[in-house]
Amino acid sequence: MIGYGEPQAIGGKLLARPMKTLLAIFAVSLGVMWYRFSAGLGPVSNMTDGFTWGIWEPVNVVVFTGIGAGAYGVGLLCYLLNKGRYHGLVRPAVLAGAICYSLGAASIVVALGRYWNSYWLGVPTLWNLSSALLEVAICVLTYVMVLWVEMLPSFLARISASPSARWKTFGKKWGGRLQQAMPYIIALAILLPTMHQSSLGGLLLIAGPKIHPLWHTALLPTLFLISCLSMGFGAVVVLITILKLTWNVEHDQRLLAEMSRVNAYLLIAFVVLRIGDITAGKLWYVGWDLISLLFFVELALFLTPALLFLSHRVKRSRGRLFGASLLAVAAGAVYRVDAYLSVYRPAPGWNYWPSIGEMTVTVGMAALGIAVFILISRMFPVLVVEETATGRPRASESAASR
Amino acid sequence: MTELEARGVSRRDFLKVCTLAAGAVGLPAWAGEMMADKAASSAKPPVIWLHFQECTGCSESLLRASAPDVAELILSLISLDYHETLMAAAGYQAERSLADSMERNDGKYLVIIEGAIPTKDGGVYCRAAGRTAIETAHKVTARAGAVLAIGSCASWGGIPSADPNPTGAVGASKIVTDRPIVNLPGCPANPYNLLGTVLQYATFGTLPALDELSRPKLAYARVIHEDCPRRPHFDAGRFAHKYGDEGHRAGYCLYKLGCKGPVTHANCSLNHFVDVPGAWPIGIGHPCVGCTEQKIAFRVPLHQTVDVDRPTAPSTYPPIHADHRVVEPLPVGIGSAIVGALAGAGYMATKKLTGNPKKHDPEE
Amino acid sequence: MIISRRSLLKGAAATGTVTALARCSHARERSGALPEAVGMLYDSTRCIGCRACVTKCKEVNGLPFDRDASGIYDTPTDLSSTTKNIIKVFRNGDNHAFVKQQCMHCVDPACVSVCMMGALHKEGSGKRNYPTERKGTGIVLYDKGTCVGCRYCQIACPFNVPKFQWQEAFPVIAKCEMCWHRRDPSQGEPFAIANPACCEVCPREAVIFGMRASLLAEAKRRIVADPKRYNGRIYGEREGGGTQVLYLAPAGVSFKDLGMPDLPAESSAHFSESVSHAPYLYGITPVALYAAMAFVLRRRKKRDDRLQRGGETKR
Repeated sequence: MIGYGEPQAIGGKLLARPMKTLLAIFAVSLGVMWYRFSAGLGPVSNMTDGFTWGIWEPVNVVVFTGIGAGAYGVGLLCYLLNKGRYHGLVRPAVLAGAICYSLGAASIVVALGRYWNSYWLGVPTLWNLSSALLEVAICVLTYVMVLWVEMLPSFLARISASPSARWKTFGKKWGGRLQQAMPYIIALAILLPTMHQSSLGGLLLIAGPKIHPLWHTALLPTLFLISCLSMGFGAVVVLITILKLTWNVEHDQRLLAEMSRVNAYLLIAFVVLRIGDITAGKLWYVGWDLISLLFFVELALFLTPALLFLSHRVKRSRGRLFGASLLAVAAGAVYRVDAYLSVYRPAPGWNYWPSIGEMTVTVGMAALGIAVFILISRMFPVLVVEETATGRPRASESAASR
Repeated sequence: MTELEARGVSRRDFLKVCTLAAGAVGLPAWAGEMMADKAASSAKPPVIWLHFQECTGCSESLLRASAPDVAELILSLISLDYHETLMAAAGYQAERSLADSMERNDGKYLVIIEGAIPTKDGGVYCRAAGRTAIETAHKVTARAGAVLAIGSCASWGGIPSADPNPTGAVGASKIVTDRPIVNLPGCPANPYNLLGTVLQYATFGTLPALDELSRPKLAYARVIHEDCPRRPHFDAGRFAHKYGDEGHRAGYCLYKLGCKGPVTHANCSLNHFVDVPGAWPIGIGHPCVGCTEQKIAFRVPLHQTVDVDRPTAPSTYPPIHADHRVVEPLPVGIGSAIVGALAGAGYMATKKLTGNPKKHDPEE
Repeated sequence: MIISRRSLLKGAAATGTVTALARCSHARERSGALPEAVGMLYDSTRCIGCRACVTKCKEVNGLPFDRDASGIYDTPTDLSSTTKNIIKVFRNGDNHAFVKQQCMHCVDPACVSVCMMGALHKEGSGKRNYPTERKGTGIVLYDKGTCVGCRYCQIACPFNVPKFQWQEAFPVIAKCEMCWHRRDPSQGEPFAIANPACCEVCPREAVIFGMRASLLAEAKRRIVADPKRYNGRIYGEREGGGTQVLYLAPAGVSFKDLGMPDLPAESSAHFSESVSHAPYLYGITPVALYAAMAFVLRRRKKRDDRLQRGGETKR
């Protein structure tokens, strides 16, 4: 069913069983975070002077925000390229993005050694403008705010529907003003991720001697930008498919297939750029070793979904599109983890694997993200739910109370 | 033995001295017992002690003991037939003793040379009983069983040979060239090195293994630095910088005060002197002056530092790339399980979605 | 298609602000050694491995002894948050060579380039300089007051020098600062700039302190005077853009053997900044992009609103 369905709150029990499990997982990770703040980073993690960012930066920040780049990708398609038919995907994508970016920002605070000094980020005279990480920090913090502002219409819509007259006026007034400001906000929402997603790749430029030449290239920012869009598009398809199964959210196969075709071109562009970069003088690094295997696995992970997205069978099959999108997300995630960890060698003698504490925090953050998504979707009009034959949405049925 | 007992020296003390002497040349304890038995019997090895350009310090180090009985003990283990400082006789009688001993113990007596031998102007700068040192050396060592040169002076010239060496002083081995001489350098030499060598010869008829400078390897193979009790301070970088400063009083390494320990072959750091533990130069806070080494002693200034020449660096130094590995099996297992579970879930979900055309996979 | 005055003014204001802030993001020139650059010269052939420098460094910097995992005092095996200077040995059969490791005080440091808040900075060029900091000496100093502990410096440094206090709840980054706090004006230049304890205490003058230019000349002189003794190269002359701590190695031992990485002449800071800053064009690009997008979106919105209103009030 294609059309501009109106988003609505899913409703249902807020603290149902899945929520409780997710919040319990997060509570465990809260305990780890408390320990981290009282005892220091060393006792809780396997981070060392060699592998100093562990997984909290590469995964919690870089991979999560890559998944959240769906907001960026859908925003590009819907607003900049003016394909209004993607409108129904915007809110869930933006919510996922807002949550992923908030998780990333929170993870940074947990990962920072001297977090209490981060207020200096608000003092522009102290900014070291040559630092790519500063650019990432400022952009990400601003973008988190922009994403939640983009979610405000959804919150205000619910407030506008409130029985209380005062809240109704409040919601309508601010909703209107927000609508007027939207072009400026959306322009920011497109500019900022362009800057920081490429900078997340740019962070690695300076570690040239320590990153394997097959990954270290001046194209790092470009490659990260392209792959974040692939991850984002893939994540949106995965998200909508899961929501379709759980809450019967509107799942427009043709639309998603069309979006995935764009994704296919991005994935192919990535592969072309990488191969081009390698053939320009780095071919002799390719051999029969583990590193080359990683490289080829990455290429396969990028190429496979691209070819799948372009095939007719996949275009027509919900399940196959879902699987291919999972591969697209995995491709971006694997590329990021490889660049930051797998092929990063500070010097001989160092190795790294996340400690149980680090993994707990990552999993806990992910659990929190899912929980918040469920919570907000239930409370506010974010998702467009498919209508039944009777014209009434199936939202209130048992499927939704899960 | 009985005469010693008469003087109040127990067999235990006697054995102790013999064992120490045996230990000084690296022989096991039972050798000490053998030496004691041999010495207790009347067959004491005859020793002729020649003095040339010397200060008699090496003799004094033999006698200088905190327990006077030990000195007597030492003298009881050997038959000291000729010693210009210690013998009762003088003048013609002394020379008579020398000749008698040489004749009586022909081919069996041990000659110990103390002091350098001057060579300039025909060697006139050291004459006793009308003979030059060169003549005496040749004459006495000709029929000797073994020849030992005690002290740096006899080993390589010592103080008399210091620049400008006006008398042309040289070590005994430069004069007595027809037979091997055991050099026991030191200023003074450690008495137990001498005693051990002498007793080994007397008991077994053999001399200890010698290095390329004819020094017993067991006493002179290692440098002071290798066995110095202050070595941990060197290794940890703790040095005395001035006499009496905090580091000096704390007993830190004396390398920076010019200690020649790193280039001096001797066993002073192990044996010490005068039977008093800690009574040796570094032990009392003065840097080693390298008195056994011809290239160092009386040539290199006392407080000039030397290069530390080490054939292999000890394993206490960190390697270029330290081991910082942190990977352990349990987290690897858990992490792999999580990733595997995610991949598995994705695969299962895809399969389920794809495999159920009516319910989940309406082809549009 | 009329550009309203309001949107034009807004665009101009935005441009002005962002350009002012992005002033420094320009394509980068290579920086050479500063005129008053101080440094150290370490001659591995003279080092006897006495480790007086290791102990003295701990003493003057107030660093505790290293402890192993179970808390027992242990000799340091690598640079760490409690060891800012260390002697290591390279073994090759019976031969060995010592190497001293500490901050290289690079001419164009990667850590300075990446530090978000400028906590790591060249003396005198920081964001919050002490009054006594002099510009031009090139010493890389650390300001824990603005450090957020992001540890990007650890990623950036090709020598893996900055170390982090992992076991502290309130950690800092630790690295050699050339004993800048021991500077002694009464001794005259260059000790008025800094007075490294390691150089002061070395018994063989294996490591010496001075102006980088003179040390470089001295290193060259040593190689010429005794070419068979050295391996012919002065490490730090050009590596990674040049470092202010220079190294000489014995013949037959490469710098790679001694753990010094093989770096190109271009510093990684220069490479990274050139690539990163190129698209920004002094900050013009983001502003222009934003202005263009805002313009397009606003115009579209106005048209959509007009259409919607027109549709509603259709006669």
